[in-house]
Formats: sequence, C-alpha cells, structure tokens
Amino acid sequence: MTESHIPHFRSKRDFEEYRKAAEEKWHELWNGSRTVVSVGVGSSSLAKGAAKVLREFEKHAGSDLVARKTGVDGADWSEVQVRVKRPNAPAVVYHHVTTDDVPTILAGKADDLILGVEGDAAYDGIQPISGLPFYKYQQRIVLANVGVIDPDSFEESVAVGAYSALYKALFEMSDEEVIAEMTAANLRGRGGAGFPAGIKWESGRKARVTPKFVVCNSHEGEPNVYKDRRIHEGDPHRILEGILVACVACGAERGYNYVGGEYPLAIKRFRRAVEDAERAGLIGKDIMGSGRDVAFRMRTGGGAYVCGEGSAMMYSIMGVRGQPRTKPPRSVEEGLWKRPTVANNTETLSNVRDIILKGGEWYSQFGTEKSKGTKLMTVQGPMNTMGLVEVPMGITLGTLVNEVWGGTRDGYTFKGIQTGGVSAGPLTPEYFDRPVDFDSLTDAGGMLGSGGFVVFDESVCAVDFARYLTAFNRVESCSKCVPCSLGNPALVEILDRIRLGRGSASDLPLIERTSKHIIELSLCGLGQVAPEPLLGMLQKFPEEFRRHAVDHVCDAGVCPMASDSVTVSLAAD
Amino acid sequence: MDLAVVKELIADLNPQDWQEAQELILAALQRVNERFGYVSVEAAQVVADHLGTTVPRVYGLLTFYADFRTEPRGKKFMLLCHGMSCYVMGSQKLVQTLQDNYGIGDGGTTAGGELTVQVVNGCLGVCDRAPIVEMDHEYYGKLTPETFNDLVQRVIAQVNAGAAS
Ligand SMILES: Cc1cc2nc3c(=O)[nH]c(=O)nc-3n(C[C@H](O)[C@H](O)[C@H](O)COP(=O)(O)O)c2cc1C
Ligand code: FES
Repeated sequence: MTESHIPHFRSKRDFEEYRKAAEEKWHELWNGSRTVVSVGVGSSSLAKGAAKVLREFEKHAGSDLVARKTGVDGADWSEVQVRVKRPNAPAVVYHHVTTDDVPTILAGKADDLILGVEGDAAYDGIQPISGLPFYKYQQRIVLANVGVIDPDSFEESVAVGAYSALYKALFEMSDEEVIAEMTAANLRGRGGAGFPAGIKWESGRKARVTPKFVVCNSHEGEPNVYKDRRIHEGDPHRILEGILVACVACGAERGYNYVGGEYPLAIKRFRRAVEDAERAGLIGKDIMGSGRDVAFRMRTGGGAYVCGEGSAMMYSIMGVRGQPRTKPPRSVEEGLWKRPTVANNTETLSNVRDIILKGGEWYSQFGTEKSKGTKLMTVQGPMNTMGLVEVPMGITLGTLVNEVWGGTRDGYTFKGIQTGGVSAGPLTPEYFDRPVDFDSLTDAGGMLGSGGFVVFDESVCAVDFARYLTAFNRVESCSKCVPCSLGNPALVEILDRIRLGRGSASDLPLIERTSKHIIELSLCGLGQVAPEPLLGMLQKFPEEFRRHAVDHVCDAGVCPMASDSVTVSLAAD
Repeated sequence: MDLAVVKELIADLNPQDWQEAQELILAALQRVNERFGYVSVEAAQVVADHLGTTVPRVYGLLTFYADFRTEPRGKKFMLLCHGMSCYVMGSQKLVQTLQDNYGIGDGGTTAGGELTVQVVNGCLGVCDRAPIVEMDHEYYGKLTPETFNDLVQRVIAQVNAGAAS
C-alpha cells in the first residue's frame, strides 16, 4: 500500500479513525482489481537475490499491478518466495524465484515454481500450501503477519492489529487486568529460562522504587538460532507494542530494546518502526491522549554472547563491559541504573498483543499443561525444508525433524540433534516421541532453550562437535569468575589431547570431574551450563569418545589424530 | 583516520544527562567502527571527549565486544560464519584453509593487505546455504575448501588488479 501520512494521535478517536481507514485500505488492496505481487525480503532471502527480484517486479507495477515487499515467512528452503494474488483468486505462492522468472510468472506460466495456493482449499488444481508438512503443523500467533505485511509500513501494521492491544490496555483495562491476562495465559519466558512473564510483570508493577524500566532482550547471540531477528525484520511494531504494553502495565517510565549488533536489517526496520511510532505519538507524552507517558530507547550489542544474560545486558546498556553479576537482587528489584527492571525476550513480548486482544484463556488453549502457547523453532544442518516455524508447544521431536523440516537431505545420514544451543546436549532418534516443551527434554539431557535445533549427520564427529561447543563457551566466557574462565579452557585442552590421539582412558572421568566443578561453582548461567553440551555428547556417544581416547581413532575422520597442529576451531581461539 | 569525520559521525549524539552519555558510548564506537572498520586511539579519544569519559574506559569496551577492531583492516572485509549450521556443514574446513594457505586465523589479514577475514561466532542467518561467508553485502554459500580458496584468490587478484590500474 502506498503509505499515507502518519498523524499524531491526540485522542483515542484519532487512533480509531486512522485504524478504520487503514483497515479499509488493506481490504481494498486484497479485494481490488489489481494483481498484488508480494516478495519476501529478509536477511535470508536477500542472500538469494530477493531485492533484485522485487526490483524486477516493480518495473511492471502500474494501474493493474502492485509490487510490494514483505518479511520472509520462515520457509528459508523455498526462497526467494513470491506471492501473486490476482483479482478473485487466492494468492499463488512461487518458490526459488530468480529475476529471470519474473516475466514467466507474470504471464501465469511458471507452473514448476508453484509451491501452492494460500488458504485451505485447492484452487484451479493447485494444492494449498497449508497442506505441506512445513506449514501444516504451524500455529502462527507471533508470526501471523510476518510474510504478510510490509514491515516498513505503519499503516499496514495498524490495519492488521498493531497498537490495538496498547489501545485496549490504555483505555479499556486497568493495569492489574493486563497483568491478570498475562498470568492467565501462563506465558513462560521464551529467552530460555521459561519464567512466567505474568509473575515477572507483577513483581515489576509492585516495585516501589522509581523510575522503572522494561527491557526487551533481542540480543540473540547464540550460534544456533535466528528467530528474534526475523520478528524484527517481519513485524517490528509487534515487538514495540509488547514493550509499550509492558511499560504501561508495570508503570515503567521507559522501555528499551537491546538488539544484537550483527543484525543490520533487523536494526534498520525496527528503527524505522520506532520513528513512525514516535511520529504517531505512541511513544512519548500523553499517548493517544491517555495521560500516560512512556519513553523508548533502542540500544545495540557488540557481539558478546554473554550480553544476552539479563544482568550483563543491562551493564552493556549502561555502557560498560557486559559481565553478569550474582543474584539476588533480581533485576525486577535492582536492574538498569539500579532501578526495578522487567526484562523479557523478544518472542515473549511478541505474544503480548494477542494475549491482550483475545485473552489469556484463549492463549492457554495452545500448548501443553505446563508450557502454554506456541514456540518459534529453528533448525540448522542438512535438512530438506529448513527454516523458522511457529508450532504449538508439545509437538513431538520426530514430527519436527521428519515432517516439519522434511528429514535430512539426500546423502546425509541423521546422527543426532543438538538442543538448547550451547547449553544442553544432543538427542538421538530414540527420543523422537518426546514432546518439545520446557520440561520434557530435560531429563534426557536436552533442552528447549530458545528453540534452536541443530541436526548433524554422520560426517560430524561427536568429540569434535563437543569441542566446538565447549570452545564457544570458553571464548564467550566473560572472565569474571575463575571456574568458568579457567575451567572451560581446561576442558578444551583435554578434548584437544583426545583429538590429537594423545588421550587416555582416564581423560573421560577427568572431563566429568572438571565439568562438575564448572557447573557447581560458576557465577552465571553461562558457566553453570557450559559443560552440558560436552557431557551430553559423552553420554549419547560414549563409544566414540572411547575410540578417540583409548584407541586413538576418529571414525568420522575429522579429528587431527597424530598431527602436531591443533585445528583452530573458533573465533579468537 | 580523519578525525573530522569521526566528530561528524557522532555529532548528533547529544545526551541529556550523565546516564544517557554512558549509554551512548557503545553506539558512538559502533558508528566509528562501521565507517572505518576499526577504532583508532585518536578516534577513541574523540569519542571519550564527546561523551565525557576516558580512553581507558573506551578501550575496556573495544577489547570486550567482539565486533570492534583496534587495527585497520585489509582492503576487503569478509565474515566467515562459524555458527552451528555452518559448523555442521563444514565451516571448520574453511577456517583450516585460511590457516593452511594464508597463515591467518580469526581477524587475520592476507600478507598483501588485500583481505581481512573475521570468523563469526554467531549465525549469519542464511543457514540453508551453509557454510557461508559474506563480503560487501554479497553472500557466498555452500562452500567447499576448494570453492572458498578460489573465492579468496579471486578477491586478492581483484584487489591487486584494482591497485595496479
Ligand atoms: C549466557 C546467557 C545468554 C543468554 N542470551 C539470551 C538472549 O540472547 N536472549 C534472551 O532473550 N535471553 C537470553 N538469556 C536469558 C536471559 O538471562 C533472561 O532469562 C531472559 O532474557 C528473560 O526473558 P524471558 O523471561 O522473556 O525469557 C541468556 C542467558 C544466559 C545465561
Ligand atoms: S550458522 Fe552460518 S548462517 Fe546460520
């Protein structure tokens, strides 16, 4: 849609009128006489030429054709994706599109590129994409508009619901009611720890020291996940709205978003969203004439994984080294600038809009007993249909691997699936019937964490992978506490000895002993779980470790047995 | 490094109070680093003066946060993804190729100053094309040690051809 001027909302009426006009325009776009071509443009598809494809379609734009960009819908495997919606027909989804295909698609001939049609019914002999395993299991709440709206368009965002929850929280609900809905939803934090957001907000609201702050944790520094940046790229106003609602409910004076500095497109689109929201008067004084004030600041990180830890993130925002501190006091008591601070993950805050608009009870119908709602999940490794999905909590691991992500590509044999990023261990096919939620993977040595899964095949050596994961934690240790800053290098040293064929049987119990010390004595959540991936690999692939340590053989042929040089495995190694 | 440009880059960072000044130090350094590829001592001084802090404090940040460099980089700058998808699909071999063929590790620059390669501990977000590198906003995916080496060779040749002409 061509963006109309963004007015400054001085009253709730102003917002209502704008929203009504935006909705009508949105309806007109999809039900008018023009063909609407939407190209998914995000960091993943830009790497495959999405910008050029969009430019090519734009050349054909005119009175009968609109060419527009959207975020990417998560189906990385099918990029560049293009949706062509002709009048009186559902949108046809094309995949693997290049600039050369543009004329053929416009001529309605590129049948081999058709992935399906949108909606639930077949059309003109084309099957709906909702029947494809990648889409079939999805329940899109956070991602509902990702891949649908133009993320740079304030108007489209409002048309599909943006700031309606803020409006409701300001004019139709008390702050207690907002928090009650969050508590009823039983939304658990999506940053890894799974702490109930409603309870955290309640503590924030009750804190009596002022000013108070809300910080959205969009650092996403783990090497195994790419979900939060995709929300930024596809629906930035959803995140901003979640932060603003949290500020209102908790009585916070200012909201922050701390975004990983490595994600330029996420930063750019989010910044644009903030500017537009400021222009509209949704940030600042007297929001929509409600008498409530909320300020907002965006800060970007500098490539230190540990800065995703809550207290480290706050130090980073305060312009010092991001080194975690001991707790208590918790952040809701003493956080940013020593003031009560509610910190939530991006995905957590992205659920707020629907919970406020549809109710906590509605939300809690999805998911399992103890893990309500949906979860964004990503996969890496040699998978057929890899990408970002939003599925209800409790989907089984096997369904994810074999259906949603389409199993391993030809030529690759499934060996294991690393869970919980750098904080837990791998799982093997015998755990495929496990539901994926906050609690069900833990006793098997796995973890949901932030929802990033990594499938690895037979060409990956378990000892070498364990070294990679341990070395990551070693490099990323902030060096504040001794068990973590010296213990992790010690583990890497033992692993290198084994990889070089100089290990012995006694190295394996030594790994376990050293790990125990690091886990029990480290200061923060990084060190306390740093050895878990290694312990998990050791537990799931004991024979492989024995072969390395005792027989001095790497069956995968990866480790530099009997060589003098240690393979450099990580940045800053 | 042209310090006038540095000053201009951070001119619009006007903190209202001491706290905001602290919050803006990283942002200022990020702008300088992005523009020049590194932050020199002189630039650190400019930033420190502008925001009312000291160079040692600024250096404490530059050495903690992996995105910063304190030395100039080569004519071209490449990010080599070493996230988990890339690792599983063989990025380790690419790191090894750099070591074996060019004698450089993370953050190293080729002998002729043509190319600096930074190994990224995160994920570049294009995991289905792993292992992948990024240079000048272009991505080169599904690399093998051979195709990666060819790419590096091409970059070096291009830079040198550009310098000769
Ligand atoms: C080493 C480390 C890294 C972390 N990285 C992140 C991160 O990138 N994003 C995030 O939201 N939480 C991260 N966390 C978890 C945060 O400490 C915190 O629990 C979370 O942001 C709270 O939000 P939530 O309750 O909505 O999950 C990390 C924790 C540790 C120990
Ligand atoms: S791990 Fe390299 S692009 Fe994701």
